Amino acid sequence: MLNHMVQRPQKSLDGIFSALSDPTRRSMLRRLAARERTIGELAAPFRMSFAAASKHVRVLERAGLLRRRVQGRSHICRIVPEPLAAADEWLRYYERFWRGQLSALEAVLETEGPDHATKGSR
Amino acid sequence: MSDKVTVRVTHRFPTAKPERVFDAWLDPVTAGKWLFATPTGKITRCAIDAKVGGKFSIVRVDENGEFNHEGEYLEIDRPRRLVFTFGIVRLSPELSRVIIEIVPMGQGCELTLTNEGVLPDYADRVPEGWRMILGNLAKTLA
Repeated sequence: MLNHMVQRPQKSLDGIFSALSDPTRRSMLRRLAARERTIGELAAPFRMSFAAASKHVRVLERAGLLRRRVQGRSHICRIVPEPLAAADEWLRYYERFWRGQLSALEAVLETEGPDHATKGSR
Repeated sequence: MSDKVTVRVTHRFPTAKPERVFDAWLDPVTAGKWLFATPTGKITRCAIDAKVGGKFSIVRVDENGEFNHEGEYLEIDRPRRLVFTFGIVRLSPELSRVIIEIVPMGQGCELTLTNEGVLPDYADRVPEGWRMILGNLAKTLA
């Protein structure tokens, strides 16, 4: 039953970043980090319709960031944090890349010494 | 649709003036020593046309093959700000945008690099070996 929810992390990165690109959904996730909430509760601070909130919830659900269960007439949502770790790891890869580049630049400038003539670039 | 992400890093250069740090990106001799270099890779070509609308092409050859880092300069405001597009077309046809901002600080300066429009799926196509090399680069040079 839950097998379809097991996603390969690389494949789901597009969905995760797409879901996180919207400030309303980021805010919903932050509020879900504290505790489970119904869709109505998620909609409340935004003065948005239940339908609009449902749409955001579906996006988060498809990205694997949220799961919901139906309890009576309420849909109760909870955050699934694992995909966020995959996204974070991906971003750190780029950070490492550029940090490495800037360290290499500093090393080159130190080798040349402060008196090395600078060349105008325009 | 590809959703894009921004990565930002800041680096302090304690003794290098803004002009030197700025020029290191655009002077082919200096850039060829560090830009897109890796411990096992060799820069085989470093062509830089340092003007707005000018292009650059920096080719590194390593055990995973040949990588042409290419892009176009969008803004050149020495020594404060440099903006260029950047990508390895073989790995991803879309270019991201890199913004370099340099402010004087003490005897040196501080550089903030913002890489906008990084594609989430880009890393998938980068050979694993290359990812490891990049990951180790900062440590190696520290």
